Amino acid sequence: MLVVDNVHAGYGASEVLVGISLEVRKATVVALIGANGAGKTTTMRTISGNVKPTQGRVLLDGKPVQGLDASRIARLGLSHSPEGRKVFGPLSVEDNLLLGAYSRLPAFFGFRRQAERELAHVYQLFPRLRERRSQAAGTLSGGEQQMLAIGRALMANPKVMLLDEPSMGLAPVIVQEVFNTIRRLKEEGITLLLVEQFAKSALEVADYAYVIEHGRIALEGTPADLHKDERVLAAYLG
Amino acid sequence: MYALIVTQMVVSGVLMGLIYALIAYGFQLTYATSKSINFGQGELVMVSAFFSLTLLNVGVPYWLMVPGGMLFGALLGLVVERAGVRLALEQKSEGWILMTIILGLFAFSVAENIWGRDDRPFPTPISSNPIQIFGIHITPVEISVAIGVFALMGMIELFKRKTLLGKAFEAVSADRDAAELMGISATRTIMLSYGLSGVVAALAGILIAPITTVGPTMASALILKAFSVAVVAGLDSGFGVVVIGMTLGALESLTSFYLGSGWREAPGLILLILALAIRPMGVFGKASIRKV
Repeated sequence: MLVVDNVHAGYGASEVLVGISLEVRKATVVALIGANGAGKTTTMRTISGNVKPTQGRVLLDGKPVQGLDASRIARLGLSHSPEGRKVFGPLSVEDNLLLGAYSRLPAFFGFRRQAERELAHVYQLFPRLRERRSQAAGTLSGGEQQMLAIGRALMANPKVMLLDEPSMGLAPVIVQEVFNTIRRLKEEGITLLLVEQFAKSALEVADYAYVIEHGRIALEGTPADLHKDERVLAAYLG
Repeated sequence: MYALIVTQMVVSGVLMGLIYALIAYGFQLTYATSKSINFGQGELVMVSAFFSLTLLNVGVPYWLMVPGGMLFGALLGLVVERAGVRLALEQKSEGWILMTIILGLFAFSVAENIWGRDDRPFPTPISSNPIQIFGIHITPVEISVAIGVFALMGMIELFKRKTLLGKAFEAVSADRDAAELMGISATRTIMLSYGLSGVVAALAGILIAPITTVGPTMASALILKAFSVAVVAGLDSGFGVVVIGMTLGALESLTSFYLGSGWREAPGLILLILALAIRPMGVFGKASIRKV
């Protein structure tokens, strides 16, 4: 469903990714783990088009999307819940969610009715968001903002969803909640690429995992494989 | 009697202030989406007013001229965005400042060559004979200014709040990268904001022209005041520009009444300096707080 093939990318003259290749098959959860600065977030941003690759290919559902504008890639069926959540602070919770489905809703009127089903789904996953639907997103707690960012990405019914550091800055109990949600989405058959610092939790939900080091894939395998690898154990699973 | 004169001054000042507010609102629209503004906005006001006058002269009825002039303003706004702003923004440069000033100068020369240097009257079917409301003389033309300003600003605010496209506009203002991830094209949203800003400027020209007449320099003082209003109010509050615009208008007429008309320009500049010194984010502006 999503194929990243030998992608190089960076910011200005500094190359962060030096030939990343990975694959996310339909209805699987793939984890991308690695140390700070290894290039996890840059990989995500390159897939979704916020960063343009200098080399290599990104295939979404078989079609090359590398180099396209982020908004084009989103319309082709990729949702990205970015690092740091990036909710639209001044807008209400519900408006944030509706904008998640922007590309397939009418631009002027009747958009709320057409998004009814997805809204109901997201509110069912996160009842807290329903309670706060008319509150400005910027006033939510960190955990609620993370739920909103996930919900917003789900609104588009994406073919592939990218989820970057959902646990960042959250209390352990909220992190648990976030991972419970991911597990539930997995049961619903989501295709997900997950970046996480908490490698342990990520490997618990993932079907397959990649370890990224210095901008390239150092290791890959099923969580069971990685658990057998001493380097992974020492470096990431403590 | 004295109180009445003062009230009279304040009322006509406030109406002038609404025009400042409307133009300042146009600055806010483009600043919100792109963090850029058109420094040739005054020329856009002027050229749109001339174009509307030409429409009237070739026999277009007034009520058709208004939307026609606004449409022309939208087109000019799009031209400014395409020719002066887009490339600079793509390269993350501040080149739009110089480019929009140059486009303004260019428009000024073109206007002088097509329409001449003289100020011309702008005919309107709305009466200029004052009517009395609570003893204050006010002309229907002045009332039309107020109605026009509030109607257009109200419509744009409704658009931003009630339509998905409008919400997308706000999303791009709040976080451009995240908006792109939702499938919202920032480039198109910036185009939209420049188009709307052009509409706003054109209407300002059409509304004020019957009072000030139309000429190449008609907007040069206007634009400076509008800029002061935008900065003093803050570049993100539509409500703020109305309040500050009306205040500035009133202050100006009181200043020229008490100190002489030579001091007319002073309040705007003093307000601007004070605002920049004391509250650079604007009286109604929100200081953007970065959260981790």
